[in-house]
Amino acid sequence: MTVKSANAALPPHPQRERENLCIHQRRHLPADLGITESFGAAIHALNTSQLTDGVINRSKRMMLDTLGVGLLGTRTAVFNKALKYSQLFTSRERSSVWGKSDIILPPHYAAFVNGIAVHSMDFDDTWHPATHPSGAVLPALLALAETLPSQPSGLDLLLAFNVGIEVQGRLMRFSKEAYNIPERFHPPTVVGVMGSAAASAKLLGLSPEQCSHALAIAASSAGAPLANAATQTKPLHIGNAARRGLEAARLAQIGLKGNPAILDLDSGLGVYYKDYSPSAMADSAVRAYKWILEDQDVAFKRIPAHLGMHWVVDAALAAREKLQNAVGKFDLSQIRHVTLRVPPSKYVNCPLPATEHQARHSFQFNACTALLDNEVTVASFGDAHIGRSALKELLGKVSLETPEDNLPSFDKMYCEVEIATHQGPSYKARCDTFYGHWRKPLTLKHLVEKFSVNASSVLCTEGVEGVIDVIGNIESVAECSILGSYLRMTSNQERLDRMRIL
Amino acid sequence: MISTVKKAIRPVWAARAIHKSAVDVLKQPAPEDTVTASFGKFISEIKPQHLSPVVLHRSKRMVLDNIGVGLIGSTTDVFELALQHCQNMYAPGDTSSVYGRRGIRLSPILAAFVNGVATHSMDFDDTWHPATHPSGAVLPAVLALSDMMPANNKPSGLDFLLAFNVGIEIQGRLLRFSNEAHNIPKRFHPPSVVGTMGSAAACARLLSLDPTQSSHALAIAASLAGAPMANAATQSKPLHIGNASRLGLEAALLASRGLEASPLVLDAVAGVAGFSAFYEDYVPQPLESPSNDSHMFLLEEQDIGFKRFPAHLGMHWVADAAASVHKVLVGVGPGTISPAQVEDILLRVPKSKYINRPFPESEHEARHSFQFNACTALLDGEVTVQSFTPAAIGRPDLHALLSRVRLEHPDDNPANFNRMYGEVQLTLVGGDIVKGRCDTFYGHWRNPLSKDSLRKKFRSNAEVVLPSEKVERLIEVVEDLDQLRDCRNLLSQLQ
Repeated sequence: MTVKSANAALPPHPQRERENLCIHQRRHLPADLGITESFGAAIHALNTSQLTDGVINRSKRMMLDTLGVGLLGTRTAVFNKALKYSQLFTSRERSSVWGKSDIILPPHYAAFVNGIAVHSMDFDDTWHPATHPSGAVLPALLALAETLPSQPSGLDLLLAFNVGIEVQGRLMRFSKEAYNIPERFHPPTVVGVMGSAAASAKLLGLSPEQCSHALAIAASSAGAPLANAATQTKPLHIGNAARRGLEAARLAQIGLKGNPAILDLDSGLGVYYKDYSPSAMADSAVRAYKWILEDQDVAFKRIPAHLGMHWVVDAALAAREKLQNAVGKFDLSQIRHVTLRVPPSKYVNCPLPATEHQARHSFQFNACTALLDNEVTVASFGDAHIGRSALKELLGKVSLETPEDNLPSFDKMYCEVEIATHQGPSYKARCDTFYGHWRKPLTLKHLVEKFSVNASSVLCTEGVEGVIDVIGNIESVAECSILGSYLRMTSNQERLDRMRIL
Repeated sequence: MISTVKKAIRPVWAARAIHKSAVDVLKQPAPEDTVTASFGKFISEIKPQHLSPVVLHRSKRMVLDNIGVGLIGSTTDVFELALQHCQNMYAPGDTSSVYGRRGIRLSPILAAFVNGVATHSMDFDDTWHPATHPSGAVLPAVLALSDMMPANNKPSGLDFLLAFNVGIEIQGRLLRFSNEAHNIPKRFHPPSVVGTMGSAAACARLLSLDPTQSSHALAIAASLAGAPMANAATQSKPLHIGNASRLGLEAALLASRGLEASPLVLDAVAGVAGFSAFYEDYVPQPLESPSNDSHMFLLEEQDIGFKRFPAHLGMHWVADAAASVHKVLVGVGPGTISPAQVEDILLRVPKSKYINRPFPESEHEARHSFQFNACTALLDGEVTVQSFTPAAIGRPDLHALLSRVRLEHPDDNPANFNRMYGEVQLTLVGGDIVKGRCDTFYGHWRNPLSKDSLRKKFRSNAEVVLPSEKVERLIEVVEDLDQLRDCRNLLSQLQ
């Protein structure tokens, strides 16, 4: 240690860089509202009068589809494992499990298992930029609604739902990386948990500051790697997004705080993206609020498989039809080789899937199933179907190409299927926009049909029709608890099955 | 370190060529050849006899320190909030005990959560190199799970220690997969990344899962890992450890029920990120099977740092440097420096945004502020638990000193807990300069706390919530943990 006498003049105090100041000081400077603050303010302030007809219509379709897909999903193995696990927990607050007449769980775990059900078969909606927006939000809201002392109205629920969707859409526009098919983090785990936190905060009526903290707390629960897609764990990504967003809002409600600049910072939400350029939420005080859902619709799936599969299936069906029209009948033995022209995306390139999860993420499998059966349905992913030797033989004839003009983006990709025959001619078909894509939306009739088929696997007719009715008229529903009671109206068969177990 | 990570390894996964026809045999590694499988095998096959005396000794110190830190942590606001949350959201469980709260038990997952929050609530828990807080992510889960096991089949002390060490070892191995992990973090808070995996590994070991289930536990945990650095220095940071502990336990329980996930989660697969998602550079290495009687646990090569006061590890260097300056000016007896004497305070520290806070406004920010800890040590000669109370944070003298601080980031001072130093240079009114430097603070792995110092810290922490007989009994039980036939003697002393 040295003690020196020195008369040297000291350097002047350096100008404090703006970024070195802690957040509170920065706010005292003449500055705009922070980004995170603007989100907290908007979540708090957005109200039902700002819901436009377009947004109401689109979000009701999303709610209906999500419920149907979730009900069907309660019959899957992954759902049952999660349910058994969740039944370790009890609580005073009780929330229902969709499609189960007498199982209740703590709200977080109800959100968890219902969310898993929704994503269990990869049958839920997809948006652009890519994520599965509804599954992360609706299970959390319904579970939460059941615990509130005064039941929210249908319109309250609709508003909270749209807040959850809107926040996800805004966050995804913070980076270019989000616009392409993902490679690192599974998007629902990044933005889905934030949407769930926002929606839950809305339904709870939190203050603007609490809403911001809900987002901050949720950020520490975000991010799961893509490698678990195409496995049994993928559905938990949505289940966890729902539950942990709800948890974040509840923690914010009792005063937990996180970083009030969580969206502003690269070290905040920015950690999940290679490029990150956040911007403030639009002014939520305006009468005509511009919801993203108004400009950009979602896609609904006709097949319980990754969205990319829908292009290749439609192309395969069209190519098959061409072959059939030319030759008179379709016969597998005619096929010499099948070429698929698809966008580059490793996790949906699976030549020989061994499990249903892999099958749902395989261009090859879906194309071949379409060729073999002239359709791809829920049943196509059962073990028996996956294991068919005819299918395996056909899979052996498939090769993939990734043309340069085929971009890994759900807004820009296409799929082409070319069947080369032993006789000589080739039959080619291309799909640019599958039926169900946002450019070619499902008709209401087909959407309701999809819901009915799904829901009937678990609910009795009264339940099925009741849900359709409630969602259809949700703006006029006084208490949304009525939805819950329909979701518990299981069919006789389910009740019988349960009795047998007892 | 860097050369170790860059060592060329045989790639275990050849990238699948896009134009291959499916008829060709895929270059898919046999399941046993993957890094992920090697980890699962290790967790399942490691045995108590693989724990060397050094590892036993060091890990028992970690267990003791972590319990003490968790006990004092049970007096914090954030712990209270987390406990309230669990009690509101869930019916009273009666399985696993909560640190320092007589009569309060929760279901295992929730106990792991709140005890983990307690452990990290004051940033008082241990730190390793590469940087993480290894014990807090593992111990609460192992304790909670042990409470869950049937009364006639509780783990022995040695089983307990083995599970604990597996949790630490897995974290250490994972941290060595990237260069990024060797420096003070910028993106993901390390305990939220590797801590969750460590907890899953430890619980898989305690549950005696088979190699495949153990691998799946890790893979399930990966989907629960990762929280951004921005929440460090906020009230949410302790939840990173709480969540690491509880979610790792959850992953192991789900795996035990048959949930499956990616069998390649730890391997590097181009175009599909697994655990690699959390790092910019990633070179995984398989874990050798502990078949013969030798396995070198990382803890044997690289010891832990224990903190002497509840703040980010980096603070310990500047505090020690400032304390030596204080001693020069004030002499050996008690006394204080008057701000009026001080013209300028220069700190030479590594560059790290989240611990550079000129005017912290909360205890959480104060624990992550070079400036605050240096000035506190200049004023008081030391930094203690009491230095972070609202009264202490708000002292006018302290503020006066804080406004005279400036920072420099010398090129030779890297943001790395193995190589950094802290220098405090005080310029007095009148021109005299007093300088202090600390290369290795007392408690760092290069200069470990003595047994007495560690016990003193433990007593000072534990006695805040437990009667001294229990405190002494805990010291004894942990000291002899490897001889304990039934870990109930440990479990019953925590509240």
